[in-house]
Amino acid sequence: MRLAGFHVFAALVVLLAVLFPDNYFVTVVGASAGLHVILAVGLNLLMGYAGQISLGHAAFFGIGAYASAILTTRFGWPGLLAMATGLLAAGVIAWLLARPILRLRGHYLAMATLGFGIIIHVVMVQATRWTGGPDGLAGVPPLNLLGWSVEGDFQWYGVIMAAMLLAVWLSLNLVDSQAGRALRAVHGSEFAAQMMGVDTARAKTQVFVVSALFAAFAGSLFAHQQAFVSPDSFNLTISVELVTMVVLGGMASTFGAACGAIALTLLHQGLVVFEDYEMLIHGALLMAVMIFMPQGLFVGLSQGTRRVWRVLSRRRISLPSTDLTD
Amino acid sequence: MTVLPVPTSGGAPLLAVEGLEQSFGGIMALAGISFQAPEGLIYAIIGPNGAGKTTLFNALCGFYQPSAGSIRFDGHELRGLPPYRIAALGMARTFQNLQLFFNMTVIENVMVGCHLRARTGLLAAALRLPSVRREEQRLRTWASEALELCDLTDRAEQPAGALPYGLMKRVEIARALAAKPRLLLLDEPAAGLNDTETLALRELITRIRASGVTVLLVEHHMPLVMGVSDQLLVLDYGSVLAEGTPAEIQADPRVVAAYLGGAVQYAV
Repeated sequence: MRLAGFHVFAALVVLLAVLFPDNYFVTVVGASAGLHVILAVGLNLLMGYAGQISLGHAAFFGIGAYASAILTTRFGWPGLLAMATGLLAAGVIAWLLARPILRLRGHYLAMATLGFGIIIHVVMVQATRWTGGPDGLAGVPPLNLLGWSVEGDFQWYGVIMAAMLLAVWLSLNLVDSQAGRALRAVHGSEFAAQMMGVDTARAKTQVFVVSALFAAFAGSLFAHQQAFVSPDSFNLTISVELVTMVVLGGMASTFGAACGAIALTLLHQGLVVFEDYEMLIHGALLMAVMIFMPQGLFVGLSQGTRRVWRVLSRRRISLPSTDLTD
Repeated sequence: MTVLPVPTSGGAPLLAVEGLEQSFGGIMALAGISFQAPEGLIYAIIGPNGAGKTTLFNALCGFYQPSAGSIRFDGHELRGLPPYRIAALGMARTFQNLQLFFNMTVIENVMVGCHLRARTGLLAAALRLPSVRREEQRLRTWASEALELCDLTDRAEQPAGALPYGLMKRVEIARALAAKPRLLLLDEPAAGLNDTETLALRELITRIRASGVTVLLVEHHMPLVMGVSDQLLVLDYGSVLAEGTPAEIQADPRVVAAYLGGAVQYAV
């Protein structure tokens, strides 16, 4: 079953909503995790599968969010049209950026994307007339989906989860296709991929655009859900966190990236109590994961569970035999 | 397996290289090479280390930009074309240093080899349209055929990195064949293989020729080269030293002196 994991994931999402419809942790933190999953799954296509790094992905998240916020508040556009425009803008910017940027490799690519992220952030802060500057833009109207206005935590949970499942489904399909194999080939050996007839520059451009679209999509939802946007949500720290989610989950796995995103969201939530030590604990946990589970949480935990299971089952078998010798 | 009569002279040249030069800084790696590889034959290129064999392959495939000369393949000029366009014209290759996609299974590797025969785009793939589903089936069938030709059917679902070295080299050949090329470039396919594997390789190369694919072979393993090739080109210091059939090359005193280092009889 190609989509077995997807169905389990979808069932969990529905189950949580049915069991805890009024739970803040499920509806609010869950929705936040859902947006992170969209972002991480999109970035994972670029990083995990095509092997290209982006340290400026919060910029595309921000482009989607600001496009929705500006077009709906200042121009009174309908939400879906603003969202589509945001996606288009992010896609075009990614496409223009991809050709020169993706010719770079390794550290240079990291630096170039980092620079792009900073530039977009500066624009958000400085272009006060449009973006509201450091104070941000308030009063983003609720998202209107063909006459249904999305309001309240529970409804937003539903919309974001549907969007998240869509993103996961698209990613799973893409990876398991010739286009996805071509991407993995670029990662495995660009040299050989070209010789198989893969236009590697085009493949890299395409995946960069796709991952930017995922991020802008999440951004647009985020703007409506929060009813407010400010530059702080799209700065360098967020970009680095997105990379961390992908790495944490184990690169080159859609569910890995999703787990990484959920884990990091929960971690932030859990560390709110220890606010002063948050960065410290955050850092230590990351180091521990990298040292003990270099393949990421997803693979690391599933291997760990298997090992524990094996130890437990061995003990169960050995117990009666000691009884016999007694 | 059908055994076709072994051609000895071949037809029109599939590949015609004329005055090919490749320089790196001040060093002439290829100093004006000319040769013609006839269609349907196994054409081997030999020469001591550093003679320019792999450089020649890389120039043919578009990874290097030659400084002068022309490469005509099936009537098309290849100079200046990027590798993926050259591949689309019907050239495939394997690599001296393995260039397998270690992040994939064996059959997925070979399915990438079918890339030129795939049609559906990114959007259709993301939405998993019925056309994509049908294409996946087709690619899988084609890849299985290539695996079967290379005796790798039982390894299809294994991760490429888990295979023994000799089989990895075979996967590279299967991947190249999956593109249905007209010309296959094999860069030292016998390097690192034991005697049994080399024998099997020889049989495989013969089978590939029988299927109608022209083979360009760079190889150091002399018994294999002499046994399997129809024609040979000897390179030395980036120039053509000699050209001829295996018997002629072995009898050529210049080749014996420059390359073989004395009179040697080959048990083939």
